Amino acid sequence: MANNRVLVVGGGLAGLSATMKLAELGVAVDLLSLTPVKRSHSVCAQGGINSVNDQTRQQGDTEWNHFDDTIYGGDFLQNQPPVKEMAYWAPKVIDLMDRLGVTFNRTPEGYIDRRRFGGTLYKRTAFAGATTGQQLLYALDEQVRRWEVEGLVKKYEFWDFLGPILDDNGRCVGAVAQDMVSMEIRSFAADAVVVATGGCGLVYGRSTMSVFCTGSAASRCFQAGAKYGNGEFIQVHPTAIPGADKLRLMSESARGEGGRVWVPRKPNDTRAPKQIPASERYFFLEERFPKYGNLVPRDIATREIFNICVNEGLSVDPTRMCVYLDLTHIPRHELDRKLGGILEIYEKFQGVDPREEPMKIFPAVHYSMGGLWVDYEANGEGGLLPGSPRNQSTNVPGLYAIGECDYQYHGANRLGANSLLSCIFSGLFVGPGIVNWMKSNKAAADLPKSIFERAVGEHTARHKKLLSNASGAGENPYLLHQELGDIMTRTATVVRYNNQLTEAYEKVSAMVERSQRCSLADTGNWTNQNVIFTKSLQDMIPIAQCILKGALMRDESRGAHFKPDFCMPSLQATDPTERRLEAEKWCDAFEENTNKFLKSSVCSWKGQEPDLVFEDIDTRLMKPRPRLYGLVGGEVIEEVWKQRSRTKEESAPSKPAAAKQLAGSV
Amino acid sequence: MIAPGPELSPARRPSKINVRVLRQDGPGTPPYWERHQVDYEPDMNVISVLQKIAAQATTFDGKKVSPVAWDCGCLEEVCGSCTMVINGRVRQSCSALVDRLLEDNPEEIQLQPMTKFPVVRDLMIDRSRLFHSLKRVQAWVPVDSYFDMGAGPRIPREDQEQNYPLSQCMSCGCCLEACPQFNKVEVIRHAGETDEAFDARKKQAYDAEFIGPHAISQAMLFNSHPVGKNLQKERLETLTGTGGIQACGNAQNCVAVCPKEIPLTTSIARAGRAATLHSIKKLFDR
Amino acid sequence: MNVPPPSAPSQSGSLSGFLKKHDFIIRRLHSLSGLVPVGAYMCVHLVTNSSLNGGPAVFQNAVFAIHSLPFLPVIEWTFIFLPILFHAIVGVWIARSGQSNLRNYRFTSNKRYWAQRMTGYIAFAFIFTHVLHLHGWFHWDWWLGFVEPLGMAQFRPYNAASSLAEAMKSLGFVWPLFYLVGVLACVFHLANGIWTAGITWGVWVSPSAQKRASVACSIFGVLLGLAGLSSLAAVSRTDPATAKAIEDQMYKVRVDGHMIQPNEHKRSDGHHTGSSDPSHNGTVSANEPK
Repeated sequence: MANNRVLVVGGGLAGLSATMKLAELGVAVDLLSLTPVKRSHSVCAQGGINSVNDQTRQQGDTEWNHFDDTIYGGDFLQNQPPVKEMAYWAPKVIDLMDRLGVTFNRTPEGYIDRRRFGGTLYKRTAFAGATTGQQLLYALDEQVRRWEVEGLVKKYEFWDFLGPILDDNGRCVGAVAQDMVSMEIRSFAADAVVVATGGCGLVYGRSTMSVFCTGSAASRCFQAGAKYGNGEFIQVHPTAIPGADKLRLMSESARGEGGRVWVPRKPNDTRAPKQIPASERYFFLEERFPKYGNLVPRDIATREIFNICVNEGLSVDPTRMCVYLDLTHIPRHELDRKLGGILEIYEKFQGVDPREEPMKIFPAVHYSMGGLWVDYEANGEGGLLPGSPRNQSTNVPGLYAIGECDYQYHGANRLGANSLLSCIFSGLFVGPGIVNWMKSNKAAADLPKSIFERAVGEHTARHKKLLSNASGAGENPYLLHQELGDIMTRTATVVRYNNQLTEAYEKVSAMVERSQRCSLADTGNWTNQNVIFTKSLQDMIPIAQCILKGALMRDESRGAHFKPDFCMPSLQATDPTERRLEAEKWCDAFEENTNKFLKSSVCSWKGQEPDLVFEDIDTRLMKPRPRLYGLVGGEVIEEVWKQRSRTKEESAPSKPAAAKQLAGSV
Repeated sequence: MIAPGPELSPARRPSKINVRVLRQDGPGTPPYWERHQVDYEPDMNVISVLQKIAAQATTFDGKKVSPVAWDCGCLEEVCGSCTMVINGRVRQSCSALVDRLLEDNPEEIQLQPMTKFPVVRDLMIDRSRLFHSLKRVQAWVPVDSYFDMGAGPRIPREDQEQNYPLSQCMSCGCCLEACPQFNKVEVIRHAGETDEAFDARKKQAYDAEFIGPHAISQAMLFNSHPVGKNLQKERLETLTGTGGIQACGNAQNCVAVCPKEIPLTTSIARAGRAATLHSIKKLFDR
Repeated sequence: MNVPPPSAPSQSGSLSGFLKKHDFIIRRLHSLSGLVPVGAYMCVHLVTNSSLNGGPAVFQNAVFAIHSLPFLPVIEWTFIFLPILFHAIVGVWIARSGQSNLRNYRFTSNKRYWAQRMTGYIAFAFIFTHVLHLHGWFHWDWWLGFVEPLGMAQFRPYNAASSLAEAMKSLGFVWPLFYLVGVLACVFHLANGIWTAGITWGVWVSPSAQKRASVACSIFGVLLGLAGLSSLAAVSRTDPATAKAIEDQMYKVRVDGHMIQPNEHKRSDGHHTGSSDPSHNGTVSANEPK
């Protein structure tokens, strides 16, 4: 395999784990990143990484339960084999990271300590203080550095991926990229290109994401023919610290370690939080969701906080919307040991000690469940077939997507501490498949040079055209970006309405053309951040269109996508018989909706706008069931639903194992 | 989600902020100061000031200029990108809050690139030497493979609590900037020099100079890992080689400026002890 | 996958290349030499000097004791002068390898870093001059004939206090001030040097241990500084004539009692510059007791 080269784009958890695995398999890797890989956005992940472990196992937990929680939390919008494989690999992933020296918190006896995260009842989450993502990333960064010294990995840092190169048969044979310092544009021949470029938070202007999470790399693949799936599913994290330049995450682990969300029962209560007695505090998550309490899945917590501020007028600050996240009842040393990192962030940026005073937090755009559409090949047990070149492959042969920029693992809503897992898992898992892919294809290095020259020529032309735009006359890219962010934040976050989405889609579509007219304040050819940003802004727009179009076409509420005009109501009736009847109807409606919308929205680029089709979901292991966290009358619905499932099972006993699991875990 | 920021009410809130930026068009070109002015808003940090400067692209006196180039990433002080010298002191620009800076100096905010690294452009610097140091000390755990071999060694909580702070190092370079013993090394590319030749020359120049507190601390981190220890000798050879730990002058600025409060001087003293034992051992084992 | 450590850069053969290659051992020797013998000698020296507070006789006794050592010049050069020169020259090279940034980083330890280098420079100049002033560095007659008229090489071991007092008074307040600054610089340099050496060698590791060591070093420095200051005070109180009478008497008693060999070179009276003695023909033997 000496002549084979793989290009990995992006050096976060997914990109680095893919790189090190490929290097171990003897493949030479070019690793391309906008930033030194050690500074990738994965460093911002705070809370932890999930897996079944010895302790939870003895409390009845299994890999299957992790799989179930992930699917249920994601409202069944995932193809199940990859998720199953991930859940079953999770303990191995954590073992590997442990061996690589990640400083996971330890129990007094020296085992990896665990905490509980949202959407589960088990303490599955391994963590390293409150900077788990950073610690995991560093461990992988160190391994990749080791391979760099070995000579198998070559890093290209401060390089911008401009797009894949396809040969005449549509196979991806490399990529064009630009050195962000010297502005040189060149091609990289590669037998496979792995895109691991993370999320697209910047489409929303401000989010919890790093400045390079523009989604432009994914967009460039999308515009080159790769499909984009489930774009409308954008996770809005319930707890973030509002800021002028960025919304800083306040990890779910704050609640995992016992943090409580509350507001004063009395609107506009001017007392200091500590002066408000317990009886006058409204712990609304705990009251409404007694089973999960503060650890309901993120989409639900977000909607509740949004609702309490916007509709119930209970915001704790008269000038802005926010609620209290209270840790003050937990001993100081405990907080420092387990949450030090995030508490420091709050202290540094807000100037208030969260150990003494409750934090003020509000939801913020955080994660994109959607992303590049990728394929998989299932094995007989409903997991993935290891080594299949189809795993993680986009519809463009030879172009792979892993990590946050693929659409495959989190469905309609991601559970906390599952993202680090999906990144590392997909990175490790993609390697052997790529090796097999390369075996059956002609080496890219042997292809005619003209293919690469043509691609470089196209990108050079685009670059030059932008630089030549007369200064001052056209759009200011930074202001245009602000406008885009405002539209997206207003219309496509927590609550969505069709009329707003339609309007937003039109405005954003007009930006395709407007963004071509951007004029630059810097037309030089040395470290020109202006032109790099403008290009990424242009490429954010197709992603924004996918998000809006998906949101518009999906007339239902599922996970992070919530339309008040299309949501399943709570039960109203109080009389048991009537309530039962209502539940029956509810279940009918649910089944009907499932048939219609339990589908991935898959976009393809058509030059000016995306074309959207709905694609069936592979639910071979577990049939969809209602997601009933805290719904009024949920217990009746659950009863009706169980009865229906049993009836179905008896009439068609095709998947006994799965059905049993289903009945057992609802 | 956009929630409007809190209305701060300090009495001396200005309507404009003066900013002076030390700019440089590229390597080898002379630096020059440039004055900018941006509107004050509550809750600003230096990043938002720079964002405004980029959007304006106009100086204080109305001259059109190219936007100031700078590096940033996470904006929450965990990635290390946005390190620069602000009012004479090195720090991250994301956590440099404008209100605080104005308390110290209401006249203006002064932004400079780090002085110990070659300037790429304006506030952007080339920190490749910092990462090269991590190669010099082989800052990694030399595992056999990435196959599933079960869990790693059990680690006492005490060890984790000692190591976790060290592994929070985000390679920002503050310690190096403030270290009086760490001097700038700038290798200028010859005309027509290939990437490989240039890299080799840079590597040679870096290898001859002080490795820096961050790398010493990383060496100690990995030397105290049960498997990382396998490279202990090699790391100590580096630390006692050219540009090793002996270059430390005990000014202890590193620990004072470290944004993550990493106990760098403790690491240095530990490395000093290990180096002492290592060289004595070497002397008698020869 | 064992990666060999990156190799050291090829050496140009220049002095700085040599220093860089053997950086570690040279700097550790520098650190060591500052403690032993230089620092240790300095303690002995200052404590001996402070014995002048007990009067010229006590001081003279102490000097007799030192001068009873055989091969004194060999001892002086091997254990004192050469280590000091090594420490000083390497020290200058080290100081020049860094750039103080006290203006922007006004931390206590950074001030100490700066002060260690400043006091190092002062100590270098001070010790060089001090040895020349009192000892003369070399005792070749032609050399003494050259420097003594310039007011150098003034100390007479067998007229210890009186020759010292005379030497100190020769330029009004200049010499006392010079010694005041020089001694305090040396004392700070040693006390702070012990503290940094403790870190360098890994004796005190944790911040709290370093803090405790810092307190201990400060106390040590204050005590040693007091010893130095008290000596200077004692010198200023000493009347050369009275002291000389006592010293001469002590000399006579010792020579008569065969406790020491007569040696006019070590006395104020018998010291005639330019007089050639046939036995004086080497560098180190020049001062040996006859």
